[in-house]
Amino acid sequence: MIRILDRPLLHFGLAAATVLALPLLLRSGTLASEILIYALAVAACNLLLGYTGLLSFGQGIFFGLGSYVAGLLLLRTPLPVPAMLIVALLAGAATAAAVGWLSIRRQGVYFVMLTLAFSQMFYFLAYTFSGLTGGDNGLLDVPRPALAGVPLSDPWSYYAYVAVLFLGLFAALQRVALSTFGRTLLAIRDNEARARAIGFPVRAFKVAAFAISGAVTAVAGALHAMLIGVAPLSNIEYHTSETLLIMTIIGGSANLFASVLGAAAYLVAGDLLSAIWPRWLLLLGLILIVIALFLQRGLWGLIERATALVSRRPVSEDSAPDRPALPAEEPQP
Amino acid sequence: MSAPASTSRAPHADPLLATEALGVRYGSFVALKDVTLRVRANSVHAIIGPNGAGKTTLFHALTGRVRAATGRITLAGRDITRVPDDDRVRLGLARSFQVTSLFATLSVRENLRLAAQGRTPWQALAPWRGVTGGTTALATAEEMLERLDLTRVALRPAGEMSHGQQRRLEVGMAMAARPRVILLDEPTSGMGTDDIGTMTALIRDLGRDHTVLFIEHNMGIVMNISDTVTVMRAGEVLVEGEPSAVRDDPEVRRAYLGNMITGDLR
Repeated sequence: MIRILDRPLLHFGLAAATVLALPLLLRSGTLASEILIYALAVAACNLLLGYTGLLSFGQGIFFGLGSYVAGLLLLRTPLPVPAMLIVALLAGAATAAAVGWLSIRRQGVYFVMLTLAFSQMFYFLAYTFSGLTGGDNGLLDVPRPALAGVPLSDPWSYYAYVAVLFLGLFAALQRVALSTFGRTLLAIRDNEARARAIGFPVRAFKVAAFAISGAVTAVAGALHAMLIGVAPLSNIEYHTSETLLIMTIIGGSANLFASVLGAAAYLVAGDLLSAIWPRWLLLLGLILIVIALFLQRGLWGLIERATALVSRRPVSEDSAPDRPALPAEEPQP
Repeated sequence: MSAPASTSRAPHADPLLATEALGVRYGSFVALKDVTLRVRANSVHAIIGPNGAGKTTLFHALTGRVRAATGRITLAGRDITRVPDDDRVRLGLARSFQVTSLFATLSVRENLRLAAQGRTPWQALAPWRGVTGGTTALATAEEMLERLDLTRVALRPAGEMSHGQQRRLEVGMAMAARPRVILLDEPTSGMGTDDIGTMTALIRDLGRDHTVLFIEHNMGIVMNISDTVTVMRAGEVLVEGEPSAVRDDPEVRRAYLGNMITGDLR
């Protein structure tokens, strides 16, 4: 029963290995940073989709919000970057708690519709209050101030900064996923009615999952604005929510590292293909169709199959597709 | 049957769980009407009646899954009619379901741990607390595995077990909450003969330190282990009394002859 691939320590090791491998494999420090930033947002999305079973189209709200917090605070206040990130984190958590609190009143299709509606609403809010957000243009010239005397203007030095934050937040998300809280989320995903019947206030758990997910997504959004030097309107657009969901599904929602895989695959493929063919998103459609039809556990599922082939042990067919399992359990004393 | 037992319980004459003229409506359909129920502490109380009599609806109302349209529910004298379902677990009400309702992809041990944790759910809201921190829930899960003879399959996903094992786990999850009143909705449904014997012994055993309210169609079990039997029909209580009295009640005989009371009641 104890499957090596389910061990959280392995997932963290793989995340750390990714951080070290990206500078060796990629020529662009900007692309490498982008991968880690999106990986954070996708892992946060996975906490909702894979762990709690909530298909939310609202993740772009928190990503865009984080970008605006970075733009506004770095342009208009002398606040240092770490303090700005904490503001983004808190703003993301608060907004996500509010959006979640209202959306989870309905289930299934209506929940999805509510998150879509919120996504549209926040987009038009950002578009309308152009004095604050820059409207269509976004907030331009977001600076990347030096950190304790170390300049972050070079792409690879910024990458190092992002990498440290990435590993810290990834470990924190893993901690959340393994906690009694995270395990209760799995129970809610599996059987919400029973979770309520055995005494769990399911709504509070869902709102908390939203808040944690929103907090991490907003930090990713802030880091993204610093990366590209703009807090663009497109970051809060519905399209961002969609992209984050697609990355989550490509990676597979079996565990948090699958999300890193999903973000990396999407962005690297986009980088390579867009150089060859501007209409590369058409290919993305094909890839998604293949995954939906044949590869429901995503790229991580592909790795599982490959290791099963190598070790000649079949992957358990019974495990539901595309769902995180508990980490391999040691026998209890 | 157990006449001396009922006198020895006289000091607990106040019911632990009671309803007063309880009514439940689904739209315009009256599912429960004027149900008055008295469940004594440390008794095994059976509810019987044909399909559609409102037995499961009564359980839904008692545990708070559906809201009472009229009347009130008290637990140890406290009015819980408006208390939400998850809070009722903390007050000591736990139930099992007629249709097995487990966390299918989670291990058997994890199912039981979650059920035990349900007594203190706000602790579980702390996203930094590891599972080993909640040792009481783990210890309870371990104890239940032992008691239900599921230790060997503790690590298997609940959805992959045999039907009999799943039914045992279903009841075990209600037990893991360490309730004062345990409500079992057809605990033996779909079980083979061997499993029924084990389950009957388990329910009887539970009656020693819990108050058990259970819905059952198997009259052998009902007559053997219950202290009190309530017969329901069309959303109302028809008769309530000791098993022997209920068995001989002419109205019960008239209502159910050839319908549900078979075998042991000849």
